[in-house]
Amino acid sequence: MSVTSALAGALSGLSATSRQAEILSSNVANATTPGYARRQVSLGSAVLAGQGQGVQVLGITRDVDKQLLGERRLAQASGADRDLRAAFLARVEQALGTPDSAGSLAARLAAFDQALVEAAGRPESQARLSGIATTAQSLAAGLATATKDIQSARATADRQIGEEVGRLNATLAQLQELNVQLRSFTGAGRDVSALLDKRQQLVDQISSIIPVREISRDLNQIALVTTGGATLLDGAAAVIGFSAIHTITPEMTQASGGLSGITINGRPYDTAGSASPILGGSLGALFAVRDELAVSAQGKLDAVARDLVERFASPTVDPTLAPGAPGLFTDAGAAFDPLDEAGLAGRLSLNALVDPSQGGALFRLRDGLGAATEGAPGNGTLIAALHDALTAARPLSSTGFAAGARSFATLTGDLMSDTSALRLAAQSEKSFASAKLTALTDLEAQNGIDTDQEMQDLLVIEKNYAANAKVIQAVADMIDTLIRLGA
Amino acid sequence: MTRISVGDASLTNILARQSADLRGQVQRASQEVATGRHSDLGAALRGDFSPLLAIDASLARLSAYKSNTADAAFQTAAQQSAISGLSQLASGISTTLLGAKNATPVQIDTLAADARGRLASAIGLLNTQASGRAVFSGVATGTVPLGSVEDMLTALQTAAAGATSAGQVTAAVTGWFADPLGFGAFYQGGGPRSSTPIAQGEAAEIPTTAMDPALRDTLAGFAMAALLDRGVLAGDATERGRLAQQAGQQLASTEDARTTLQARIGTVEARIEAARTRNSAEETALGILRSEIGSVDPYEAGTRLEAIQSQLESLYLVTARVSRLSLAEYLR
Repeated sequence: MSVTSALAGALSGLSATSRQAEILSSNVANATTPGYARRQVSLGSAVLAGQGQGVQVLGITRDVDKQLLGERRLAQASGADRDLRAAFLARVEQALGTPDSAGSLAARLAAFDQALVEAAGRPESQARLSGIATTAQSLAAGLATATKDIQSARATADRQIGEEVGRLNATLAQLQELNVQLRSFTGAGRDVSALLDKRQQLVDQISSIIPVREISRDLNQIALVTTGGATLLDGAAAVIGFSAIHTITPEMTQASGGLSGITINGRPYDTAGSASPILGGSLGALFAVRDELAVSAQGKLDAVARDLVERFASPTVDPTLAPGAPGLFTDAGAAFDPLDEAGLAGRLSLNALVDPSQGGALFRLRDGLGAATEGAPGNGTLIAALHDALTAARPLSSTGFAAGARSFATLTGDLMSDTSALRLAAQSEKSFASAKLTALTDLEAQNGIDTDQEMQDLLVIEKNYAANAKVIQAVADMIDTLIRLGA
Repeated sequence: MTRISVGDASLTNILARQSADLRGQVQRASQEVATGRHSDLGAALRGDFSPLLAIDASLARLSAYKSNTADAAFQTAAQQSAISGLSQLASGISTTLLGAKNATPVQIDTLAADARGRLASAIGLLNTQASGRAVFSGVATGTVPLGSVEDMLTALQTAAAGATSAGQVTAAVTGWFADPLGFGAFYQGGGPRSSTPIAQGEAAEIPTTAMDPALRDTLAGFAMAALLDRGVLAGDATERGRLAQQAGQQLASTEDARTTLQARIGTVEARIEAARTRNSAEETALGILRSEIGSVDPYEAGTRLEAIQSQLESLYLVTARVSRLSLAEYLR
């Protein structure tokens, strides 16, 4: 009966337009929801026994550009990586100070230099001798503070690695569960868009920690493989292992066994170099901060500290100094041991012999560290020699800087300039990565919900609905007419 | 398929980002205008701090040289005035002493008492302290170089004991002053003072101590006459007159040496003064250079602020206009 099929066809049109309206309302409601992908109702003509029978809803499609999504995830990872590196290097620059900050290493050194010159002009003045002691202490404190800052940044990085690994494991477990749900729902033919949204968000979270590629499998399943080649999820989720520690000292490294590396399913992997599968995101950057950037920054600081110690430790500068005895600056009170350079900057202290607060006497600055009794008060020869030792060009004992002889002020300047140049380079890489991420995010946002378009669609849906209803009314009239004929 | 829609979030993102970016620029520019300093010095200098640090180090050192030159100038001035005082003491009595050969014993006695007073004053002058430092003590700035006049005369009297002629007394006195165990032991100061740094690579030497021959010989002249007051050659009026005359000769003959010494200290004073002038010129020049390198051009920063401000205002206008552009507004 064709009138009945006309009624059925119109009814199917009504239900299809209602479905469209439902999806449209969901789109409009989620116009600003992050991770929400636009849905579309795909329609097809219903065929029953070889004949058209109205319209049918084929399914709901999520409108996602997978290519773009993958690109954006990689950009997100490299953005997180550059951000962390730049932030660390900026912190080191701040720890050392810039020429316009009052407590910078160079300012402390200039004060020490000034105190030596003034005391050489007036060696009998207690105030000027005490000026040498306090400025020397301030210089040592400056190096110690910078060391503390760098090491605490390392400890923070270590703790953050622990947090990131925890988040990674939790997210992977959630993804595994979602995969299971998706398999059964897809098999049952239900709408899985919301689950797919959720899964996309979770993968986004992972990919800023470690850059991953998503590999699609049947029944809406995915596998995750890092760009470095480690499988994180394929059916079962991988378990990533790391143990954070509380305190980090400058001499602790991953090689020396003091710091934890990373394991995937119990197997250890490199955390640096081309063989490492975890690089490119925030996790790789945190390892780089902890194991490379901080170590090299500390190495330079230690080289500077060592140069300072060695300048004053020679009997040619201070003839009263016994061979092997510590000079004006000491390694936590003892003489400096060249085998124990790591972390020297943090242990540097003024020799207790000249520090009144540690039972020393200021006259030893003028008469020599080995002097037993106070000499002639007007003798500034040794203080002038100390100043010469500070300003003389001297070859560097440590690596980390370009070779060549330089004065201590030049060395400090090199340290600060080096640090600043590194920070600037990292920052320009960071802005490059973030520009790329911004561009991709913009593209992705362009594919998002356009309320104007939804409103246009709404007009069409309204019109279609009215038309279908009109058809039903017409069919009803036709049936009524038939019924009246029989009456 | 070709897209013909643009997601709402896209526009919102772009506007929000541009607004945040411009606000950041406004903040930096206004900070630079207000403080006159770069908000990111590292970026302004491209990471090379060395010129600025060198200037800062020089400025710090110049301020040290400033106090050193002032100090050294004070020390040399104190030496100069002490030596001038010595010369006045000497010239006030030397002429009278020279004519003492024919003086009456009473006149000799008066002269001797005068000479003894002048010796005490001369010792006082050499014991001058400037800003707590004994200027003629060399490195031993904490102790005055000479003891009391009585001690000196007692030592001299012992040295001249048994002398029966003016010549013998003179020889004993000059011998005592030249003797390391005589005046050398009487001198309580130390060796020459170490040099004072007064400018980059330049140091002022202030080595003059009370052991300087010019000062020592002057003291010897006063001492010879002062011994008369202690009763040396008592009763022999002729020899006493001759000794007074020899004391006068001694004082007169040291005048040249004192002048030479003053000239020598004068050249040091001139060097200190030259260093001071040079340092202060350098300080000014470095200060200008520092603000050229390390400071922001306020006009440039101000113009920048103005430009960003108008840009931000335009953005607000665009944001307001664009936000009203929605189909939903027209579907009534």
